[in-house]
Amino acid sequence: MSEERSFEELQRELDDVVARLERGDVPVDEAIALFRRGEELYRACVERLQAAELRIEELSPSDTADA
Amino acid sequence: MSEHPGHKPQPQAAARKVYSVSGFNRGIARTLGKLPAIWVGGEVTELRRNESWATVFLTLKDPKTGATLNVTIARRTFDRLELELEEGETVHVAGRAELWELKGELGLRATTIERVGVGAHLVALEQLKRRLADEGLFAPERKRRLPRVPRAVGVLTGADAAARGDLIATIGRRFPATKVVVCESRVQGRGAAEAIVVALRCLAAHDEVDVVVLARGGGSFEDLLPFSSEPVVRAVAACPVPVVSAVGHEQDTPLCDLAADVRAATPTAAGALVVPDEQELRAGLEACRRRLGLSVRTLLDRDAAKLARTGDRLRAAPRLLLERRRSALDRSSARLQTLSPVATLGRGYAIVRSGGQTLREAGAVATGDALDIELASGSLGARVEEVKP
Repeated sequence: MSEERSFEELQRELDDVVARLERGDVPVDEAIALFRRGEELYRACVERLQAAELRIEELSPSDTADA
Repeated sequence: MSEHPGHKPQPQAAARKVYSVSGFNRGIARTLGKLPAIWVGGEVTELRRNESWATVFLTLKDPKTGATLNVTIARRTFDRLELELEEGETVHVAGRAELWELKGELGLRATTIERVGVGAHLVALEQLKRRLADEGLFAPERKRRLPRVPRAVGVLTGADAAARGDLIATIGRRFPATKVVVCESRVQGRGAAEAIVVALRCLAAHDEVDVVVLARGGGSFEDLLPFSSEPVVRAVAACPVPVVSAVGHEQDTPLCDLAADVRAATPTAAGALVVPDEQELRAGLEACRRRLGLSVRTLLDRDAAKLARTGDRLRAAPRLLLERRRSALDRSSARLQTLSPVATLGRGYAIVRSGGQTLREAGAVATGDALDIELASGSLGARVEEVKP
């Protein structure tokens, strides 16, 4: 679900989930679903940080530049 | 004065034509004053201007030989030129040769100064800047926010190892999980502007690149010119992802700086702008998770409390019902009581029976018959002594 989404998007959704729960106007069933979603997002964010290696890709303008 | 062998004897001191120093200087000055006004070109090396002086002093240097010439110009004239002259700039100075009589120093009394070379570039640059500014290319509302965590950072760099190295080292230290896409380009000299435009497009077209850094270390004014060229400035402004300009040193302001979304003083500063600090990010995530747990617990606790109250009410309901029924029963029983003979007996009446039949008239029994007398409390067995019908 989260592969193509950016870290920023995931983090923003996590913030939204927390904000909704903190507002406290959600029914219990939904609250539990939101909590699960929040945990999932948290884990997805942390996973992104695990790839600890700085990757460097060299791009040559002549390869891709269209005339 | 001693005599030098081999030299002709000098005229006697009294017979010489001797000039005073002032006289000599004055004479030379007068001769110099007859020379025509001319232009002299050179590099400004020392510029001394003081509000309290009527004259501005500067030294012109010949860049080839190192020869120098003192130049003076009236401060009011100099100020009117609005040159903002810096040392090291090449200028043409119009003026006449002049001798400072007191010191016997030769100089050039300037009537005007024009900037050349860089100066001409500067004028063109200033015009371009104004034109692009009028178009709104540098408007603050055009500036985009940088992504907090880019999927990949695009780096446009020359063969300049230092700028590239500083930038990548900073990114790696702050946020090791970053991907960096480097595109090397010619950044100075002929064709540089075109190459920069192509490289920028190329980086922006990369799927993951969310922000581009122009990483170009310091250089001479001319070296940095491509970053002020119209195609590059326009390409920066039109770049689909935000651009951070880290070109030249602090004091340089190439036009790409104005078109970029953010300007960084150095490649290191650019590195700090494009990626977050991982430690801070982790701390933020942990805080978020704590709030997540806390908020859901608060919500569930609140719900549980509500449920408990409902349960209490539920349990209390049958008792309430029973009590209500009981009081209704009590009322019925009171009404029943008033109709019951027991209550009549309570007031002192008695029920007299004989052979199981309630007696209503005396004639129904005979003397000696057994009677059963029921009182409010208890009953009596008796016999008839006399009958009075």
